Amino acid sequence: MRLFTIATSLAALIAASPLAAQTLNVASAGDQNMVDYVKDYLGPMFEKAHPGVKVVSVGTGPGDAGSQKIYEKLDAQKGSATTDFDVVVIHQKAAGQMVKEGLLSKYTADVDTAKLATGDAARNALGTDVSGYVIPMFQSQTALAYNADMVKTPPATFAELADWAKKNPKQFGYNGIKGGMSGVAFVAGWVYAFGGDADKLMKGPYDAATKANWDKAFAELKAFNANATITPGNAGTLDMLNRGEIAIGPVWVDMFYSWQADGKLPPNMKLKLVSPGMPGQPMYYSIPEKSAQKKLAEAFIALATSPQVQADGIVKKFNWYPGIDAKNLEGKLDKAAWDKLFTDVTPAELASNGKPFPIAPYFNDILEGYEKKVAN
Amino acid sequence: MSISQRQLALLLIAPGLALVAALFLYPLSFSLISAFTGPQGGVSLDAFRKAWELYSRDMLFTVVIVLASCLFTGLAAIIIAGTLTLGENRWIVGTLKALYRWPLFIPFIVAAQCMRTFLAKNGLMNNSFVAMGLMEPLQAVSFLDWRGIVATFVWKQTPFVALLLAGALAALDRATLEAGRNLGASRLRVLVELALPQVMPQLLVALVLSFVTMLSVLSVPMMVAGSQPTMLTVDMAFRINSYGDYATANALGVVTYLLSAGAAIIYLKRGMAKEGAT
Amino acid sequence: MMRLASSLRTALAAFLLAAFAFVLIGPLANLALWSVAERWYTPYKLPVTYGTRYWEQVFRPTGDAMASLGTSVWIAVLTVVVALALSIPAGYALARLKLPARAFFMVLFLLPQAFPSVAIYINVARVFYQLGINGTVFAVVLVHAAHGLVYSVWIAAAAFSAVDKDLELAARNIGASPLRTFFSVTLPLAAPGIIASGIFVFLESLDEFTGTFFVGVPQVTTLPLLLYNAAMGGNYQVASITALILLVPSVLFMLFIERFLRADVLAKVGA
Repeated sequence: MRLFTIATSLAALIAASPLAAQTLNVASAGDQNMVDYVKDYLGPMFEKAHPGVKVVSVGTGPGDAGSQKIYEKLDAQKGSATTDFDVVVIHQKAAGQMVKEGLLSKYTADVDTAKLATGDAARNALGTDVSGYVIPMFQSQTALAYNADMVKTPPATFAELADWAKKNPKQFGYNGIKGGMSGVAFVAGWVYAFGGDADKLMKGPYDAATKANWDKAFAELKAFNANATITPGNAGTLDMLNRGEIAIGPVWVDMFYSWQADGKLPPNMKLKLVSPGMPGQPMYYSIPEKSAQKKLAEAFIALATSPQVQADGIVKKFNWYPGIDAKNLEGKLDKAAWDKLFTDVTPAELASNGKPFPIAPYFNDILEGYEKKVAN
Repeated sequence: MSISQRQLALLLIAPGLALVAALFLYPLSFSLISAFTGPQGGVSLDAFRKAWELYSRDMLFTVVIVLASCLFTGLAAIIIAGTLTLGENRWIVGTLKALYRWPLFIPFIVAAQCMRTFLAKNGLMNNSFVAMGLMEPLQAVSFLDWRGIVATFVWKQTPFVALLLAGALAALDRATLEAGRNLGASRLRVLVELALPQVMPQLLVALVLSFVTMLSVLSVPMMVAGSQPTMLTVDMAFRINSYGDYATANALGVVTYLLSAGAAIIYLKRGMAKEGAT
Repeated sequence: MMRLASSLRTALAAFLLAAFAFVLIGPLANLALWSVAERWYTPYKLPVTYGTRYWEQVFRPTGDAMASLGTSVWIAVLTVVVALALSIPAGYALARLKLPARAFFMVLFLLPQAFPSVAIYINVARVFYQLGINGTVFAVVLVHAAHGLVYSVWIAAAAFSAVDKDLELAARNIGASPLRTFFSVTLPLAAPGIIASGIFVFLESLDEFTGTFFVGVPQVTTLPLLLYNAAMGGNYQVASITALILLVPSVLFMLFIERFLRADVLAKVGA
């Protein structure tokens, strides 16, 4: 038992040593590059402007699983006076749920840059009204990545893709629905293409009977799967593209660019946003309701969503689509950096084929329908 | 005397139990409650019904994978530990000893990542075979399915079992083994008939622990194989992350737990039967 | 004839050993290659360009890799101490004493390893927040110890039950007290197994991510946190480097414990 006492006192020592006068804890759901973005770029910039403040950046893992962890941590802290996190970077699904459960603070009225983000994504997260609670950090989009050496003319629609996969068995790969959102996005795109009224799925209203119309789409997807490779995860799809084991696969555009920058994709890989379209989603900056540092958190988000930071950090550094409206970036960015963003996917294509995910209840119906009718 | 021994036993086990009770049983009770609560509240088996309906195939898949992995892990560990104990060629024993433990230090998630790029169709393994002339490029197949999961588990768990087994073998009375050798028994016979029976408890403990560990690993099935079919841990994570459905996830957890408890009880029963016999 | 057979056998053994080495080292070589690969894609079988860019990235001044490593190792060592302190008495009781409902207790210790952890850790975090110990090293150590306890308890129980009862009886017969018998006969004989279990507890703690996140983050950050993010996101270079860094304390701990073990056991042999 003495060991316990020693451990406790040593632990107290470590915990008590103050890192700085004030600490701003930023939790990001996402890949390591998003955590590093706060750690290396935003954090130091913010610390410089606010002497005595230390920014701590932690990551909770990529995908919805990462957002779910943030949600769970905040939920566990419901009974506490303050939360561990002051700024959270989360996905749409978690944002909707956290707003509904009162875990987030309605802060955007205090942040001027909120006016720069007027798109639908700033107000609507999978059917939940989140206006006032979020400012988009960046927009991301799924698209098909293909190896231009192996595929001369990439399919332009889902129907063409289905034909192509039949002629080139196992050359198309995606990660099902349990291995990450790029596969989920592909399945959602498939249902948009073949399941009937896609607009209703994105905008509502929800009608539980709609899912009966998808049986044919799911049956076709099951047949399609016989010719497809099921890859292990978002990264698994990129991985197989890296080794040339598959020629086409759905990927997140931001991941695609960072893999290419890390030398993990052949230089001749290209993107194609097929019609009628594939889903994309933003990452949101939010402040937990019980953050102890609300003022600082607001200042941090104001900096992160300012046109200059969006131009230099989001677009130029990472090739992410900006979270605030693009027109605010004019003059902040050289043309080359802007054009690079649209090398493969033109702004027109993005406007017409970049879709949101379905509203939450349809979303769940699609996933469960897939589990029952395609994977089983 | 016997009563006070019982009290002593309970006293000795109490601190450990207290830790498990506070940090595990108490929080677990919330999970159990959620698994047995219906959507409208009240006791219900809905979550289990749903778990069975959607994931019965994955349950079977999980059991088969984990059992196969335990089998191969056990065999590989016996070969390694046996060679270490009874091997006569110093050079071979030395090399083996230096090598076999390395995977022990690799976390599952990294092992999964290594294997994903190693076992793939155009991965390092097939590429090496092609470069050595053992295989034509066209014959290359991907092992990124159940075989990949089993291979990763065996690769990662064998050193664990072998380490415990080799320790137990080293603690055996050398004289008996030497006597067996002197009587003309082959090393294989000495290992199987003399040495192994004496270290069965340790081998089984190591295998039960491996069984339970493999059941609870998320990263390997997630990263090594595609998700159709997949292991229960992936389904649990999916239930939570995609639907926020803790009830079904917890029901799957109860299934996993019953599987582990089953393995543990088979081991414990065997031990008790033996104790009763002697 | 005999000589030929024996050299054939040696050749076969050497071949098997080489195959074994390939299976074992192959994936590790993969890891090492990725840690220095700056560009690697089809159709190249090996990295296109090598470099230390990612090592520099991991060890950059704002990266905190070394500080996190220090925290990780410190937590792992404390976890081993706590787990062994709890499991040596428990293992002895399970193996040697007449314990009511023994099987039940054994299964109980297995629980934390068997049940999916996320659901549990949320509730643990809830309790720890109420106690005000969330975000301390102490809290993380407790969680890791509960998780690793199954290894140390089960292995300690097996190690104690493997000790020859006759040796203990002999010690008692020559007048040693039960306590003395335990410390001079039983414990040293069971030591190899118990110490091996310490290694597993150490490794288990060094790999743990989920529990650390719920009860430690953001005040306590460990290296596996970085590893987990990098590996799940498919950032092979950073994940490989982090894994290689984590390898160092693991191997050192093992070597240290083995040295300590050998001297101890050798001293008791024939005593």
